[in-house]
Amino acid sequence: MMLARVADSLYWIGRYVERAEHLCRLSDVMLTATLDRTESATQIARIALAAVGDTDNAAKARNPYEAALALVLDREDPGSVASSLARARENARQVRDQITTETWERLNLIHLRMSDPNDGRAFADGSQAFLHDTIADLHLFKGAADATMSHGEGWRFLLLGVYLERAQLIGALLEVCFGDRRHRAITDHSALTSLLRMSCALEPYLRVYTADMQPRFILEFLLLDEDFPRSVRFCTARIEEHLTSISRHVEATGVSGPDRLAGRLRARLQYAEIGEVQAGGASAFLGAVLDECAAVHRQVYDTFVAYTLEQRLPA
Amino acid sequence: MVKGTSRVELQAAKTEAAGRAPVVAATPLPYDEMRDAAGKVRPHYAALAERIDTLSSDELAERQKTLERFFLLQGITFTVYGAESSTERIIPTDLLPRIIAAEEWKTIDAGLTQRLRALNMFLADIYSGQQILMDGVVPRDLVLNAPSYRREMQNLYVPHQAYANVCGSDLIRQPDGKFAVLEDNLRVPSGVSYMLANREASKRVFPGTFRGAGVRPIDRYPDLLLTTLKSMAADWRPNPQVVVLTPGVYNSAYFEHAYLARLMGVPLVEGRDLVVHDNMVYMRTTTGLRRIDIIYRRVDDDFIDPLTFRRDSGLGSAGLFNAYRAGNVVICNAPGTGVADDKAVYAYVPEIIRYYLGEDAILPNIETFLCREPAQLSHVLANLDKFVVKAVGASGGYGMLVGPHSTKAQQDEFAAALTADPENYIAQPTIQLSTGPCLIEHEIDSRHVDLRPFILCGEKIVVTPGALTRVALRKGSLVVNSSQGGGSKDTWVLTDKKDLQP
Repeated sequence: MMLARVADSLYWIGRYVERAEHLCRLSDVMLTATLDRTESATQIARIALAAVGDTDNAAKARNPYEAALALVLDREDPGSVASSLARARENARQVRDQITTETWERLNLIHLRMSDPNDGRAFADGSQAFLHDTIADLHLFKGAADATMSHGEGWRFLLLGVYLERAQLIGALLEVCFGDRRHRAITDHSALTSLLRMSCALEPYLRVYTADMQPRFILEFLLLDEDFPRSVRFCTARIEEHLTSISRHVEATGVSGPDRLAGRLRARLQYAEIGEVQAGGASAFLGAVLDECAAVHRQVYDTFVAYTLEQRLPA
Repeated sequence: MVKGTSRVELQAAKTEAAGRAPVVAATPLPYDEMRDAAGKVRPHYAALAERIDTLSSDELAERQKTLERFFLLQGITFTVYGAESSTERIIPTDLLPRIIAAEEWKTIDAGLTQRLRALNMFLADIYSGQQILMDGVVPRDLVLNAPSYRREMQNLYVPHQAYANVCGSDLIRQPDGKFAVLEDNLRVPSGVSYMLANREASKRVFPGTFRGAGVRPIDRYPDLLLTTLKSMAADWRPNPQVVVLTPGVYNSAYFEHAYLARLMGVPLVEGRDLVVHDNMVYMRTTTGLRRIDIIYRRVDDDFIDPLTFRRDSGLGSAGLFNAYRAGNVVICNAPGTGVADDKAVYAYVPEIIRYYLGEDAILPNIETFLCREPAQLSHVLANLDKFVVKAVGASGGYGMLVGPHSTKAQQDEFAAALTADPENYIAQPTIQLSTGPCLIEHEIDSRHVDLRPFILCGEKIVVTPGALTRVALRKGSLVVNSSQGGGSKDTWVLTDKKDLQP
């Protein structure tokens, strides 16, 4: 049992933190690609920008440094890393009594560095070191949450946010790379490597498929792998797990809970086969997955946070 | 019950006081907390003084930085809203602890317990039979016309007659070394989180000295607070649900609300989390509505219930007060406690103590002149350049005249206001607060300090052996409010040597 408002805040901390981490990684890969001066640098930048929803990106992609700077530090942009972290931290401040001091300190520290007036210079001096440190700190935050928070309802709401956001972000990235709107399949070796890096999947991929870079394998790995923590299947399994646990205590209200949707979503990925997915078009499959993620989000709100009082008042 | 002096005698006593020789003659030197008149370090400060002498100013500065970093990391900050961006600042905190000897604390402890017991009896009385008003010990209109008097509280059952459950009194040490009460805070006193956080920090900064000094622990405050709150619940609710009610994250004391909720392990709720239905109070949880028994509210009286008090309040919950009247929830502190810390009622507290307890006040008041009494008014008017004049209803340093620091024009303005509406003003002599050593710009220097201990009252009264010491960081300044350049420091109450474990 916890306050609905608190559950809501914890859920959004999870979402914002995951979003910030993903954006940092996209920016990092984008900047690394420019170092090699390969032909594919622009292509990689376009993939990264399209994956964050910026489709009209031809001009920006020619200057990846500026694009990355805006993606990370632009406070005017509600979607930037700095904005996401500021919101995560603001949410954490509102539920300061619900998270452990160790967890709070991590997040507060990241926020303080991001909002430092000299952060622009720190980014210019060594943008990759800056991004690397931020990602490492976000890992520390998740580690602190895992190691010090009780693995009860609050922690599950936090992770529900993390995995739902992650499923949607990876889903969007895959849609950009393998969807119907892409006219030319990505075949370039360094572009494919970068795609794996964007989802932090290079090393785990190599262990499963060796250094054989095949678009089909990459799609299979990022979509359907059972054990890789950033595959969509893995995320949906966690979403179901946390929702089932959270829903246990809700009084039956007649409406079907979000755990049913989560179970169906998990099953869709668990019993999928890459050949079938490709035969039907990756876009159709990814579209269904993303729609169901959105439906889970709505259902979470209707069940736990913004429920109507009439249903819950004592008779 | 021992009856106090009659109205006539009291009147005579006051008039006599007013007739006495100049109240503020040559200003005596303030009491120095660390050194006696001869400049020798007092025994209870010896260990700290020795330790400071071994540290260079760089080392002190380094420790000050450690301290500030601790506060920043913990998020113990308040937000300063600027034109373009908002920045977060930590509350200025001084490195060097203020130390109080065991013997002195005994007096403070006894004095505060006595005072809060009497004030709660006073509240119970004026919200029921009003015996004290009938006996003329405190003027009837002074109490019943006070803006903080709540008619809604009349004849309402309050468990243990504990109206004020949490009290933070402001004490000052006078030039002669005696502590006196400057103000009682019975509404929603704050600052206790700084007391606890300062202690955490000073343990890190002076670990050796701290261990050697035998400082009395204060870390039981949160569970004592919880026990106090739970003792207010009805007997038939064996496992009462306690919550802390905060105005929200933009309140300057929000950190404290979250801190206390976390350390007590109870939910921190806002008005929007509460639902009142059939005179029961519920909170919205993920699993539906959950009934609440005790609300430790950190929202002012005016804002807790728009149906009963201010209609434009969005901070409370509609119907909350009716649920309270129905006995289905307990609000702590009770609404209407403010009438007992009213600036005019303050002057009568020694009489109130004598009336209910038949004892003399252990901690004296600051001499206070009520302008409502003609004899006292004329004395105040004749000595406006020496007095601090305060409006009864105002707080936070507004509507105040500090005589020695005022211009003739300001004095004339106040003289007119006093004559027009004498009931609204009191006057006190300008008090020299005691001074303690502080680290200012890498050097150790003296600054004026006060003392705010915290007293809990439920089934019984408990004084936490510690306090928030507030510091006026500007040299010579007597204003310790954080809004006006004040800071704080840790306060060490020492264990009696006799009780010390070998």
